[in-house]
Amino acid sequence: MNQKLVNILLVEDDEVDVMNVKRAFSKNNIMNPLFVAGNGVEALEMLDDKIIPLPKIIILDINMPKMNGIEFLKIMRENEKLKNISVFVMTTSNEDSDKINAYNLNVAGYILKPLSFEKFLTSVATLKNFWQLCEM
Amino acid sequence: MRNANILLVDNRKTTIENIKKSFLEIDSKHTLFSAENENEAWLMLDGTHKINPVPKIVLIDVNRTKKKGINLLNAIRNHPDLKSILIFVITDSDEDINKAAALNLNIAGYIPLSFESHKLNYFLSVLNDYWNIIEFSSQK
Repeated sequence: MNQKLVNILLVEDDEVDVMNVKRAFSKNNIMNPLFVAGNGVEALEMLDDKIIPLPKIIILDINMPKMNGIEFLKIMRENEKLKNISVFVMTTSNEDSDKINAYNLNVAGYILKPLSFEKFLTSVATLKNFWQLCEM
Repeated sequence: MRNANILLVDNRKTTIENIKKSFLEIDSKHTLFSAENENEAWLMLDGTHKINPVPKIVLIDVNRTKKKGINLLNAIRNHPDLKSILIFVITDSDEDINKAAALNLNIAGYIPLSFESHKLNYFLSVLNDYWNIIEFSSQK
């Protein structure tokens, strides 16, 4: 997958978390173009108005202002152009209801953000290996 | 993720055996069940041979059995208790006849795979690592 460098959209409101994802990508040599939206509303605008090229992967936070991750997912899955995109939830929410809602909307994985950056690096490395196996 | 039940669907006995062997070799903590066809798989998901708890993950090659594999995925997605199952298509077929249909059903991954043993161990260990970093609900 990585050879083709599919676009990745990160939907995340916390600037520190955005920085951490960027750092983890760079440390793991993930060269895919990474776009960032601060919440669900902004992500939908970017996707609907074609402000960014259509991503094959979305990394999605759950707790965000304006429109949270689950609300965003619901709208996305009803949109013909967006419904096939692979979504990986990356969140600090350990709520069972969030996990159930996310899997009912067929996310590819629900990942709890580890507290330490080192552990986060390992999770991102695992994700990279998995993405490289997959054809999108 | 803690130990999860995984259902493998493949109509070739040797494939099932190779994958089972590889699961042991990579020391996966997950429990692998297998079905030799889609009907048998359905009985294990929603019939007389129901696996308890319901598998969190299904592994299937949808390119071997014309439409049957895709029909099974459709049935899973339309069933209230099964629709959230993570589906990984693993295929060693050169023909991607059902790839688009599978991607339309929001599978978690479409993975071309070699059944040579050293490669199979690598593929399954990457998948196994991935399963270990994702969380599932505690609901049965």
